[in-house]
Amino acid sequence: MEEYIASVIRPKIQGDGGEVCFASLCDDDLTLVFQGECSKCLILDRCVHWMEQEIEKDLGKRVTINAVRKKPFFWDA
Amino acid sequence: MAHIKVTRRSMRPEEWTALRFGWLKRHIYAKKYEIKTLQIRDARQVSEMEYAYYTEDYRPLRKGDMYFTPDGTAFIRGEIAVPADFCGEELWLSLKTAAEIIVKVNGKYVGGVDPNRDRILLSPYLEPNCETLYFEMQGYNRSKPDDERNPESLSVRGCRQIFEGAYLATVNHDVLDLVYDLELLLDIAGSDLFNEDYRAFLNRELNNALNLIDFEEDTLPGLTDAKRYVEEVIYKNDDYKGNGDVALIAHSHLDIAYYWRRIHAVQKNLRTVLIQLRLMDRYPDFKYTHTQAYTYETLEKYYPEVFAELKEKIAAGQFEPVGAMYVEPDCNIPAAESLIRQCLYGQRYFREKFGKTVQNCWLPDVFGNSWILPQILKKSGVEYFVSNKMSTWNDTNRFPHNNFIWKGIDGSEVYACVPPTHFITWNTPSQIQENWEAYQDKNTGGQTMSMFGYGDGGSGCTEEMIEFMHRFDKLSIMPKTEHTSAAAFLEKNLKDNPNLQKWDGELYLEMHRGTFTTKANIKQQNRKLEYKLREAEIIATLRALSGKPYPQETLRECWKKLLINQFHDILPGSHITPVYRDAMADYEAVDKMLDEIIGNGTQYFNSLNFPRTGLTFVENENGDSTRYGKTGFWCIPNLPALQNGELKPQNSGTAGEWCFTDGDTVETPYYKIRFAPDGSILSLYDKTLSREWANGDFNKLKFYEDKPGVYDAWDILPNYKDKPVLPTVSDPLHLTEKNNEVAVFACTVKVGQSSWTRYIRLFRQSRGIEVENSVDWHEKHRLAKAEFSCNVLTREAVCDLGAGFIKRETHKNTTWQQARFEVCHHKWCDLAETDGGVALINDCKYGVGFDENTMSLSLLRATIRPDPTSDMGEHRFCYMILPHAGDAVSAKLNQIALEYNVPIVKADVSCQNTFDGLFLQAMKLSEDGKTVVVRLTECDGHRGTLHLPKKVKLLNMLEDVVGESAEIPYQPFEILTLGIDLN
Repeated sequence: MEEYIASVIRPKIQGDGGEVCFASLCDDDLTLVFQGECSKCLILDRCVHWMEQEIEKDLGKRVTINAVRKKPFFWDA
Repeated sequence: MAHIKVTRRSMRPEEWTALRFGWLKRHIYAKKYEIKTLQIRDARQVSEMEYAYYTEDYRPLRKGDMYFTPDGTAFIRGEIAVPADFCGEELWLSLKTAAEIIVKVNGKYVGGVDPNRDRILLSPYLEPNCETLYFEMQGYNRSKPDDERNPESLSVRGCRQIFEGAYLATVNHDVLDLVYDLELLLDIAGSDLFNEDYRAFLNRELNNALNLIDFEEDTLPGLTDAKRYVEEVIYKNDDYKGNGDVALIAHSHLDIAYYWRRIHAVQKNLRTVLIQLRLMDRYPDFKYTHTQAYTYETLEKYYPEVFAELKEKIAAGQFEPVGAMYVEPDCNIPAAESLIRQCLYGQRYFREKFGKTVQNCWLPDVFGNSWILPQILKKSGVEYFVSNKMSTWNDTNRFPHNNFIWKGIDGSEVYACVPPTHFITWNTPSQIQENWEAYQDKNTGGQTMSMFGYGDGGSGCTEEMIEFMHRFDKLSIMPKTEHTSAAAFLEKNLKDNPNLQKWDGELYLEMHRGTFTTKANIKQQNRKLEYKLREAEIIATLRALSGKPYPQETLRECWKKLLINQFHDILPGSHITPVYRDAMADYEAVDKMLDEIIGNGTQYFNSLNFPRTGLTFVENENGDSTRYGKTGFWCIPNLPALQNGELKPQNSGTAGEWCFTDGDTVETPYYKIRFAPDGSILSLYDKTLSREWANGDFNKLKFYEDKPGVYDAWDILPNYKDKPVLPTVSDPLHLTEKNNEVAVFACTVKVGQSSWTRYIRLFRQSRGIEVENSVDWHEKHRLAKAEFSCNVLTREAVCDLGAGFIKRETHKNTTWQQARFEVCHHKWCDLAETDGGVALINDCKYGVGFDENTMSLSLLRATIRPDPTSDMGEHRFCYMILPHAGDAVSAKLNQIALEYNVPIVKADVSCQNTFDGLFLQAMKLSEDGKTVVVRLTECDGHRGTLHLPKKVKLLNMLEDVVGESAEIPYQPFEILTLGIDLN
């Protein structure tokens, strides 16, 4: 899963100025840390849902993503 | 007594007007027919015209569906029969989207939609009585809207979007006309920049106009009366007089890479050009300027039918190529030859395709401009320079001119325009008024320039902006306006204007000072390849003179790749992760191509046109030294100018006889040095000059918290020293290598998660003290500097600009001096008294700060926006400390720095002409392959005459012949271009 996030999902997210890193996987609960543009995206939940679909399609595993936003100080108002 | 604030809770008249304005906009479309047959196929762009598709086939796309994926491109198609009640009517496509979509109908490019526009006129591009419409759309989604200043686009940012439907529509032009009237007038009514009484008049009369419309009825009875009221009561009123004279120039700023990759700019450019062409079809008076030859090249290559239309509009005078350069490059970091090639390849393209030499340089967004630029522009056919940043972004001082003359380092002068306001505006009255009020040359400069059009990722002008423009003459409150071309504006207001003020110096931007340092690897590769290209061209030219083929196309390809990556959001480091990867891949490709051109000779070639006498590292697998992780040996080449010869390790003396260590003290033939465990120098006593050079922290590695805010990659703040971060020494300085020529001392410090090893080299035959840095960098928001507090009393630092030097004050008496706490330099900088000083020579660093007797060389940053991974990982770079006698010129710093930066390679070529006194900056075959072009630069600030054995052609930088002579006088910092017959 960690490799999949790093090699398949991350480049696409980076292509839009975002950043995602694998944090943990416990059973079906996948925790991902979002930085860059993702950290303040108003509709990140849509992307998260898309990632869940992609993971199921590519890895055959149903997960629920816990999205942790790591917002830089200058956006953390 | 308690104060009770009175708050109005009932609706204000202005709110009532705004509410009805919203109702009116709902009636823009007379009829709408939803296109329900659309299908979509998701993909991801992998090169300029290649896509990796996520599915084998298309899927249906219906209103309410989710569409687009992160970094996604979507292809949408669909066919409809034109409904009977639409036949014979003016047809439009209505599609509201956050993406950038290029639309073809029945095989014809009809336009584009994006967050700044949501409809396309179809009828003029359809066959008469066309019954079926086949739509083909290509959309690129953006999480980062082109223009954050447009609030509407902010609300729709994000990678996954909800499809809001696409419609065939007809427009109610009466409603649309009134909408534009209201939009325009409400902008004035809401702006403090206009007369208060006039704004009250507008608020009152707009309310009266809207009172004439019955919004309860779908047909909006009274609409015509309202329109007439606006014409007769509001536009006819001329009781309120404005003043000013503003030229309106349409353009679109297109970052070739930024929050998107270079591959995406191909379609961004297509969409932008297409939209402007379609506006020109509708509005024959509309003129639009477009920069960057590179973008024209991609359009011609991939979309020839649109390019053919563009050529027609250029011929008609509506579409105006501006900006003589290949791209809009950073103008601090590129070498002089790179800036010349930007002009050469840009102008060459414009001449070849459009028969034009573009007379202006159009750089609205670059982060300051080197003092060497006026000469390069002037000799590249450019009379006018346009750049906005200094007026709107300076953080300390107001740049004092808008229309003026810019005098360059060599005395060349160009006309310059720094428009008073931002280069992205949407042509509203308040923005035009703001421009006029900010204009500082009202009495001397003629008109002021106001650029309009959305930008950053292209997009450009909208129908609304043009419709506004058609109404400005009816508004007595506004400044006089003229929609014109860039060339016409510049010629009318600047050319031969005797009243223009003069600015003699660099155009330093008091912001974005971090861009001299961010993304160190890109800057390192750029520097390396600039010199490698020089080497390859000289070698290839000398081979061509002996009859061998000249790799013109490969060299041009290498140059163009380098030039593209000098774009002002690539080389400065202000971009996302994939842009960095693209640049590094390009550099690798160029490096490989140049290796093939240079090839392998049997002897070493000195490509410098002066004898190479400085201690040099020569890679050799049998050597007894290491540098940059490679084995080799140190030697004094003693190779004459432009000659080749053998190089071998020199065996004179033994290591023990020239370098002595005693505790923390090391003694060499030149110095007695006392080191601290972290590699900093506590004392640097010069034995030959009998003086101490250190006065405080010297070669001290320092780390600071570097939190400039939202412009993270761009800025370093003046208070960056407020919060130092102290490293710990994990491996104290110790001797690691010692032979006949060099003694190497190494130490490692830890800071945060990072490790920083320094290899300090002391030499038997060189005054230089080299510091190689090997860094494993994993910090966030840290600035690393090497600081040198020198035992030197001077008020100015001397900095190399690549083709001459600039003197910068080191004290902080005025706000202008205070603002320049971090500046850009090239290969060297120097703090010196009249009889000696300390120079720092680098091989890839550009940012440096001066404070009285202290130099601080910026080494690495760790920013997180736009790229959270910026600068993470391994870095290796060198600089050399060079105490010297005399000043920078008598110490020959230019020559020493060139020897330090130009690697010595094997090639069996040589040249008899050495062009003494000037630096051989380039030698190449002319672009037509008929002439040897020799570029010579005076770098030391002196005057002289070049004596040649026979007459040569004098060329400008576009390789046009401008004269002929064997005796060529030159002045300080002049760049000469000579043409020598190939035969």
